[in-house]
Amino acid sequence: MRRYTYYPGCTLYTKARSLDLCARKAAEKVGFELAEMPTWNCCGAIYNATSDDLAAQVGPVRNLAKASQLGDKLVTLCAACHNVLKRVQNRLDQPGNEVESERLKTFVDERYERSVRVMHYLEVLKQDIGFEAIKSKVVKPLAKLKVASYYGCLMVRPKEVLEFDDAENPQVMDDLMRALGAEPTRFDFKAECCGGYLVVNRRDVAKSASHRILDNAKAWGAEAIVTTCPLCQYNLDKLRVVTDGSLPVFYFTQLLGVAVGLGQDELGFEHNAGDPIEFLKTKGLL
Amino acid sequence: MMQEPAEPLKKKQPRVGVFVCHCGINIAGVVKIPELLERVGIMPDVVVAKDYKYCCSDPGQQMIRDSINSDKLDRVVVACCSPTLHETTFRNACAEAGLNSYQCEIANIREQCAWVTEDKDKATDKATEIVRTTKAKVENDLPLDAITVPINKRALVVGAGIAGIQAALDIANAGYEVVLVEKEPSIGGHMAQLSETFPTLDCSQCILTPRTVETGRHPKIKLMTYSEVDAVSGYVGNFKVKIRQKARYVDFKTCTGCGVCLEKCPGRTEGRFERGLTKGKAIYRLLPQAVPNKPVIDAKSCIYLTKGKCGNCAKVCPTGAIHYDDTDKFVEEEVGAIVLATGYELFDAARLGSYGFGLVPDVVDGLAFERLLSASGPTSGEVKRPSDGKTPKKIVFVQCAGSRDSTNGMPYCSKICCMYTAKQAILYRHRVHDGQATICYIDVRTPGKGFEEFYKRATDDGIQYLRGKVSKIFRQGDKVMVWASDTLAGRKVELEADMVVLATAVVANPDGVALARKLKTQIDAHGFMTEAHPKLRPVETLTAGFFLAGCGQGPKDIPETVAQASAAAAKVLAMFGNTRLTHSPTTAQVDEEICVGCGYCERTCAYDAVKVDAARKKAVVNAALCEGCGACAVACPSGAMTHKNATKKAIFEMADTF
Repeated sequence: MRRYTYYPGCTLYTKARSLDLCARKAAEKVGFELAEMPTWNCCGAIYNATSDDLAAQVGPVRNLAKASQLGDKLVTLCAACHNVLKRVQNRLDQPGNEVESERLKTFVDERYERSVRVMHYLEVLKQDIGFEAIKSKVVKPLAKLKVASYYGCLMVRPKEVLEFDDAENPQVMDDLMRALGAEPTRFDFKAECCGGYLVVNRRDVAKSASHRILDNAKAWGAEAIVTTCPLCQYNLDKLRVVTDGSLPVFYFTQLLGVAVGLGQDELGFEHNAGDPIEFLKTKGLL
Repeated sequence: MMQEPAEPLKKKQPRVGVFVCHCGINIAGVVKIPELLERVGIMPDVVVAKDYKYCCSDPGQQMIRDSINSDKLDRVVVACCSPTLHETTFRNACAEAGLNSYQCEIANIREQCAWVTEDKDKATDKATEIVRTTKAKVENDLPLDAITVPINKRALVVGAGIAGIQAALDIANAGYEVVLVEKEPSIGGHMAQLSETFPTLDCSQCILTPRTVETGRHPKIKLMTYSEVDAVSGYVGNFKVKIRQKARYVDFKTCTGCGVCLEKCPGRTEGRFERGLTKGKAIYRLLPQAVPNKPVIDAKSCIYLTKGKCGNCAKVCPTGAIHYDDTDKFVEEEVGAIVLATGYELFDAARLGSYGFGLVPDVVDGLAFERLLSASGPTSGEVKRPSDGKTPKKIVFVQCAGSRDSTNGMPYCSKICCMYTAKQAILYRHRVHDGQATICYIDVRTPGKGFEEFYKRATDDGIQYLRGKVSKIFRQGDKVMVWASDTLAGRKVELEADMVVLATAVVANPDGVALARKLKTQIDAHGFMTEAHPKLRPVETLTAGFFLAGCGQGPKDIPETVAQASAAAAKVLAMFGNTRLTHSPTTAQVDEEICVGCGYCERTCAYDAVKVDAARKKAVVNAALCEGCGACAVACPSGAMTHKNATKKAIFEMADTF
């Protein structure tokens, strides 16, 4: 079984436990293993936009240095961690950036062995495993479930660095959902802002931003939303005026887990709003 | 003039004349001419070294001619501008004085010397070395005679849009035969899809159909529709063209074009000509005025051909013209010149992920909107939106959808969109009087006759122009929402529209790109065919005998396309005005004593000019095809292949001068 060095990040140990748990268990079902780094620290949380602020890059560099001793790939799940680690790695490798790169590496005690390819879990599924292979592992197809795939901003931008998918109309999660038997719906707000950290001090702004996304998904006939970002999941799920259980917001790993046959106790619905279990039951998926 | 009798010496010493041109101050302003003349004058074999202000002028040329006679010169070096400009001028001047023109060489001391430095001493040194090297070459030059080949005075025109039609008619009206090949079942190209044309608003069909009818009936034009060029061999003046005539399943000889079959056909296609606005039928013609006005069957959607059932068309055809067993046929034609008029397509707007094209039914591209405005279109010219057939009361037009966008689209300006968008907005307001049209633009470009006035007419008509890029288009209820910026007011705007029209970028027709690759004619980074010179040879290509017309060469409007097509025809006719074609004799040649037929040369040649004779195991150069690039001579491992007047000996002697 393939083994990947895995960086979970802090949120996946707290509010986004289900994103992590389902991912590990589902990975084993489809044929790979996530080996968590023995030690890791904060990813840097958000990528520092000031180009000469080296100190803010030290945390992520330390993670990358540790990962470099374990393998040439590092798998992430949280969209924010992925974005930060990917961009810092890119900065280290950028031709013409050698001086800064060397300075950053000297800040950390850990030896930086090699350039690490930061891969999102979805990229592992698409490129290393293949959606066809995943399809063959599905035991409970998500038949007739209309899903809107919401990517948010961090997964796709900046396009040249993330190299993830089309920044305006990404498809990876849609393709995964299709492989699991679901019907990905059209959706215009795949990569629009959910409000992000504005939820802290301008809750009204975050609320209107996330509502716009939910309304559009509903208008296209979606019954559920999948996402890969804990903050997006929180904003979409918790800022609703009425939490009537309509349009549950899942992590994509939860639906992957359902499809490959994880038990209800392994899917970790405690942080989903409304009654996702009831929703999945009415759909005949639990 | 007679050649000088051979002098009674063992080896005749060459007598070289060097003529240095000032080119006004272009050369003389940097290169120190007196010093250069002094240095050149003492080089071995140089009999005379003279200068003149403009050597290319009549007195300048006369100076060279006089000197050839009085100084008994047998080699000439002219130190002046690039050989691409005046090599022919000076070679002709030498020939008039009795010298073989291939024993005159150009030393380029302008582009490669005077223009690249301001250091007078260095420039003079470099000019000296350039002349010295060129002298070494000219001393090795042999007298050569130009190659002449016969011309087959028939032309092939590929593509029968307005460009191909115009070129074909011009050539045919001059009395020469034309083979006109079109991949679609009928001719007219994209112009047949348009409603009215800017800036005069005359009906596109009305001005096009006289041309298509004339083309269809012209005794000198052999029209081959539903056909594609498969391969071209030969060389300028003598091409052999293999054309694939696609299976039509309708015998054009017996079909009368009555159209009964069209009514009875239950098979459906996506309707390419109508840009997907309505379904087409499996047996179809593109438009009622089609030339030829006979249908073909689309095998992929024909129920009989796919499932073996139906057969309605064969049953109702009064002349028995339907043949389900039809197959592709190959036809070979011989021509002397080829006009490539392969046209354009629209950029696939679905690649602009945030514009909702293909997701939102009421977001259409420019050609689809033309069909909605056209009297022969699916709505008979009434503006109705695709989703529910309602008349849109507010339309947002988005310019530069894929143009001038190096991130997601094409970096270039598509040139026609500013005008056709203004036209579409005006026509929309003619049809829907209370309709509101907003045009989102980056710049409005109106560099054509009557264009600016037409744009003014649009703004006077109450059409709103909003300067800024559109960031997102999506559906909300039955509305189409457009997010844009208004850069003049400095704010973001959200527009609620009933319909959106994208002025999608013009791209080279993919079939034309594939053909260009097959023919090995040059294309640019975006697939547009490349002209031989951007200013002075705009309709020729670097492959002799291939000419360009229309949007296959770059985006352009109808008048420009027609002008270019006529220019291409004029070039073909100028060629047909000769009895034989001359070709430069500075080609590759094989020493058969040395050649072992390894074939390196054949694989290296970009012009298919070298072939290995398998029986004799010797390379054979077709001098009429050879462009004299010298690649084969470099590739040849045994030294059997050489380039006339650029032999290894000559090149080494040139290098030895340093």
